[in-house]
Amino acid sequence: MKEHGFWRLGGKLYLAALVVFTMLPMVWMVITSLKTQFAALQYPPEWIPRNPTLDQYWLLLSPANAVGREFLRYLFNSVWVSAASTVLGVAVAVPAAYAFSRFRFPGRNLLFYSVLLRNMFPAVVFLMPLFIMMRWLGLVNTQASLILTYLTFGLPLSIWLLKGFYDNIPVQLEQAARIDGASRFQAFLLIVMPLSAPGITATAIYSFIMAWNEYVYALTFLNDKDRLTLPVGLQRFFTEYATNWPGLMAASFIMSVPVVALFLVLQKYFVRALTDGAVKS
Amino acid sequence: MAQVRLGNIVKHYGDSIAVDDVSLTVEDGEFVALVGPSGCGKTTTLNLVAGLLELTGGTIHIGDRQVNELDPKDRDIAMVFQNYALYPNKTVYANLAFPLQMRKTAKADIDRKVRAAAASLDITHLLQRRPRELSGGQQQRVALGRALVRDPKVFLMDEPLSNLDAKLRVQMRAELKRFHQDLKATIIYVTHDQLEAVTMADRMAVMNHGVLQQYDTPEVVFNAPLNLFVAGFVGSPAMNLFPAEVADGGASLLGPEGWRLTLSERNAARARRATGGVILGARHSMIGLHGEPATDRIPGRVYTVEPTGDITFVHVRIAAANVIASVGPDIRLRADDAVWLSFDQNKLHLFDVASGQALRD
Repeated sequence: MKEHGFWRLGGKLYLAALVVFTMLPMVWMVITSLKTQFAALQYPPEWIPRNPTLDQYWLLLSPANAVGREFLRYLFNSVWVSAASTVLGVAVAVPAAYAFSRFRFPGRNLLFYSVLLRNMFPAVVFLMPLFIMMRWLGLVNTQASLILTYLTFGLPLSIWLLKGFYDNIPVQLEQAARIDGASRFQAFLLIVMPLSAPGITATAIYSFIMAWNEYVYALTFLNDKDRLTLPVGLQRFFTEYATNWPGLMAASFIMSVPVVALFLVLQKYFVRALTDGAVKS
Repeated sequence: MAQVRLGNIVKHYGDSIAVDDVSLTVEDGEFVALVGPSGCGKTTTLNLVAGLLELTGGTIHIGDRQVNELDPKDRDIAMVFQNYALYPNKTVYANLAFPLQMRKTAKADIDRKVRAAAASLDITHLLQRRPRELSGGQQQRVALGRALVRDPKVFLMDEPLSNLDAKLRVQMRAELKRFHQDLKATIIYVTHDQLEAVTMADRMAVMNHGVLQQYDTPEVVFNAPLNLFVAGFVGSPAMNLFPAEVADGGASLLGPEGWRLTLSERNAARARRATGGVILGARHSMIGLHGEPATDRIPGRVYTVEPTGDITFVHVRIAAANVIASVGPDIRLRADDAVWLSFDQNKLHLFDVASGQALRD
């Protein structure tokens, strides 16, 4: 009993240390974003800002000034690129996963495993080949190049996760629907789709976050200031002007809000998506 | 309701043949059981009728219409699945209403029909529940309700009782049979359980390896199996089958264990038709057990005794062969007792070893 208590305590301390380790940078980010520029550079640092201010947030989110206009442009670009690659990703992944799960066709296994091939290499390996391909396609310096690229990154996992979902939906449900008067497509739309909604939500949010955070490709493919996404935009934004730390931190905080919010929704579905596919009930 | 006609239907999966040239007619209002061991093609046959699988060859008629090319939704059929296939995200009410909605029935009509179906199956109090909140028996009723709410031409049932526990299965068996009698419904019912087929069906189609073995009333299938497979499959415990040689120009049979059995004139005539040896078939109830030897009694030794209450099964060894006979509960036998078996010549079955077919008059 005593030993048990010791291990429990030890475990909790370990977890607490981990939480501090992961949370501290974020806490520091929020604290700094609330400081004045002067206070941000003080040493020893102010742990709790003496004169907290939301100035940086007003600056970034107001279209009235140049900085705000630029930031909002990047934000909009990021939303557009992430949303477009997510919507397209789901539109491709859903029928692909469904086909892998339900139909037997020649080359099915080969195709299914080749879907994973992309994930066996670090993303940077594809940077140059993709860049060259984008140049052939005349897509360099367009957001379409990023949307296409993110699509290829998100699809493998989306297809695998969704296939697990569809595998667990008994085929008899569709058969019953088809006998009850539904066409094959209606059976999919009215019976299978609602049942796979958690899986679709999970994969959609996953794709969105991945596209939202991506930096290297965005840096390489885009030049035009007006087309930059947030991660690259932020970096340029603040090296161009003097290094405004509170401003950078405020911008980073705004950027992380959608990710955190989506992840809160995601975690429930994501765990279900992973386990549903893995364990036959 | 309608007649269903299968004309030489064939289904191949790549190189393997799942259904091999099956022809049968299910009359209007008839309850037909497709029965056989797993992998015999019975479920494939049902799915072909439903339109869930495509025919490799042959024709299927429902009523006057050839339905080969029709989608399941256009065949005017209803199906009850082994796992019920209730829509898990819909309430019982919505499950029952779904087939009507799909056929664009007016809302008031849907409500009326759903409630009527629910009332007839005694599930009105469950209408607002979801399938996972129901017991197996209740799910079974909802599945049945969803099938009958639309008044289809044919009911297809794929092992609908096999997920229920034994007691509930007996109850639902009776309810299904009553359901058939009340509705005068045409039903095609797939089962691996020959007892379900024998107890419920007007006619049963016994299948093996994709081939229709016999299609007749349970009584005929039980009393006059056409071949060795049907003889061994239908009836529990299975029919006793043992090989013998035809001797004395057909007048008697000679067992490999050394016994000799004089045949009645009718059986002798049958035995003479055999191309080589014969297989003697006798159900447990047609075998008499005696304490003394006599002519035409085969000596054996009791292997074990299984009392079931109202009937006692006795396993008897004749050399290496095992035979199951039955006696009344008041007859006491013990393992290793010597016994002598006699046969009811009028109920004896004879099969040709070479072809496996029954030797007929």
